[in-house]
Amino acid sequence: MNEFVIIFFAITLIYFSITERFRIYVNLIAIQGVLLFALSFLELEKITLGTLLFVAIETLVFKVIVVPTLLFRIIRKTGEEKVHEKSMPGFYSLLIVSAGLILSILVSFSLKTTPGNLIFFVVSIFAIFTGLFLIISHKKVFAHLVGFLIVENAVLLLSMAIGSQIPMLINIGILLDIFVSVLILGIFVMRVKQHTSELTMLKDD
Amino acid sequence: MINPGAIVIFFGSLAVLAGGLVAFLRSKLAIRMLTIFFVACHIAFTLFCWIHLRETVLDYFTFDPLGVLLLSVLSLLTVTTVFHGFIYVKAESPRRYAIYHSALIALVTAMSGAYLANGMTSVWIFVEGTTLAVAALIYHDRTPLALEATWKYVFVCSLGIALAYIGILFLGFTVGNGQMLNLSFNSMAEIAKQADPLYLKIAFVFVLVGYSTKMGLFPMHTVTVDAHTVAPPPISAFISTTLMNVGFLAIFRVYALFSLTTIAPFMNRVLIFSGLLSLLVSAGYMLKAKHNKRMLAYSSMENMGIVAISLGVGEIGYYAAILHILLHSLTKAGLFYQMGQSYKVMGTYQLDESGNYIKLFPAGAAALLLGLLCITAIPPSGMFISELYMLKAMVIRGDYAYLVITSLLLCFVLYAILTRVLHIVYSQPRNPVQLPDVKVSPWQTVSQFVLFGMVIFICIVQPASLRDIIHEIVQGLPK
Repeated sequence: MNEFVIIFFAITLIYFSITERFRIYVNLIAIQGVLLFALSFLELEKITLGTLLFVAIETLVFKVIVVPTLLFRIIRKTGEEKVHEKSMPGFYSLLIVSAGLILSILVSFSLKTTPGNLIFFVVSIFAIFTGLFLIISHKKVFAHLVGFLIVENAVLLLSMAIGSQIPMLINIGILLDIFVSVLILGIFVMRVKQHTSELTMLKDD
Repeated sequence: MINPGAIVIFFGSLAVLAGGLVAFLRSKLAIRMLTIFFVACHIAFTLFCWIHLRETVLDYFTFDPLGVLLLSVLSLLTVTTVFHGFIYVKAESPRRYAIYHSALIALVTAMSGAYLANGMTSVWIFVEGTTLAVAALIYHDRTPLALEATWKYVFVCSLGIALAYIGILFLGFTVGNGQMLNLSFNSMAEIAKQADPLYLKIAFVFVLVGYSTKMGLFPMHTVTVDAHTVAPPPISAFISTTLMNVGFLAIFRVYALFSLTTIAPFMNRVLIFSGLLSLLVSAGYMLKAKHNKRMLAYSSMENMGIVAISLGVGEIGYYAAILHILLHSLTKAGLFYQMGQSYKVMGTYQLDESGNYIKLFPAGAAALLLGLLCITAIPPSGMFISELYMLKAMVIRGDYAYLVITSLLLCFVLYAILTRVLHIVYSQPRNPVQLPDVKVSPWQTVSQFVLFGMVIFICIVQPASLRDIIHEIVQGLPK
């Protein structure tokens, strides 16, 4: 069952590379939140009930409800619906992201991970790659914000992959990081829109 | 006998209370009084940390020599930054005046926590806190440039912190399945000893890249350069010194923990590589810099490169790294304060519009020239000693290639700073602009002379207590 969920998670990452509409980006982030909760639930034997409750708040409440609501609000306020027309075409993005998936598999196999967490490891490395790729390949700040959220999801997936228990303090830190970052960045995205949806004024010339 | 843990809790509560109260106050006098009270408490807290040196309190904090030394620099620069901040935001609305000081108190508190943290988790959380607090300060002027710099800074730092956390997670792979991952420094030292070197290497690279967003090292330097350029000058002074020190400390902690494992040579190579690239990039951009504050921002990057190289070459280089980080803090803070005053006098940060500063504001020009002497490591600048020690370490190790490259790049940096600062002081502006009708009191330069004086003093007399504390900091590192 875990394998199906994690493969579905990987498919959402591939979908990020070909889609152009910001609303789909937000829906994919929400779907990833549900999948992460499902994975945490299926891993219940390895984590404590307290951690599961915490993960439920982090995934279902924040990643599925709070963050997407905030992102939809940003889309409404800014009127930004699609990625920049000069962004990399979907076909090339798909090729690069597919190459990233192969690279993630190669990297994971070269590390001495146990078979049980190998697939978690592959997909979390792939998610880091996809998040960073989304940031560097798009001009609009909204896409950067979504890229950042994918990297944060990768971090959560990686923490499941390691098997050992993560102190609650770190979980609280991650939650704080996501919430405050999205809140602050959201405020700034709306202000940036008043000037431009790209950030290219600070230069060395 | 006072319980150190109670004092830490008391100071933390007081900082939260003071910061919160200042945010809601609308009387500038009350804000000033409360800020001064906080600064006095911070100095008292630093003295308390010195008295309880080497003690660990509440499990999450430790008063180790490096943390307390950097905390002392923070205390000192908080005094000067608050003083220059009072002048900078004098004419602001009460609301913005309050937000500025509240964010400053939050930043000082978060940085103090990061210096004294006793584990990677607490360091990580306090570093996150510094990012949030500093965002309000960088955005203080509410200009489009400030908006862009703040967005980039918050975004890249948040990403950097996530990457650093991935590095920390890699350590978790070495702990058994189902066991609790304890990330206190003592526990991490034990984990590192048993860890697979490959995971340690990955962890170190992620931590280095992640915290480079704070330290301003290549390749994550761009946001710090932008932030230092755009922030109000007292804040530029603060974040290009004490906040960069937070990044250095986080990287140094991990370096020190892993240095007794087999990956020490790998870490040294990575640090030297990152340091040399930082030096190369900063030298290149400084040679074409047309913005006075941006030039100083790249100079900070260059100095962090020197620190990384010093750490990488080891031996006496360790000593040089710690000394350099201290002296750079004092020098760069003074220079940024001076840059704020030069802006008031000349009405511009653009190099081509700047000039004739010696006639416009002689006291400021004298401070700028003294600062130039200090930052370029020309004797009697204390930074001459630290850079000499770095080069000496290269000779001892026989790293002549590094020696030649570093010396060459330092020559480019020296040329870039000298020509630009001397142009500001002595030459006529290439594109003259209307000078603002603002008078700056020569007394406002006193803090800069004091800071530069300390840098020169350390070149002439290195107090035994300072030498001993630096030796204690580096004694655990491999020879």
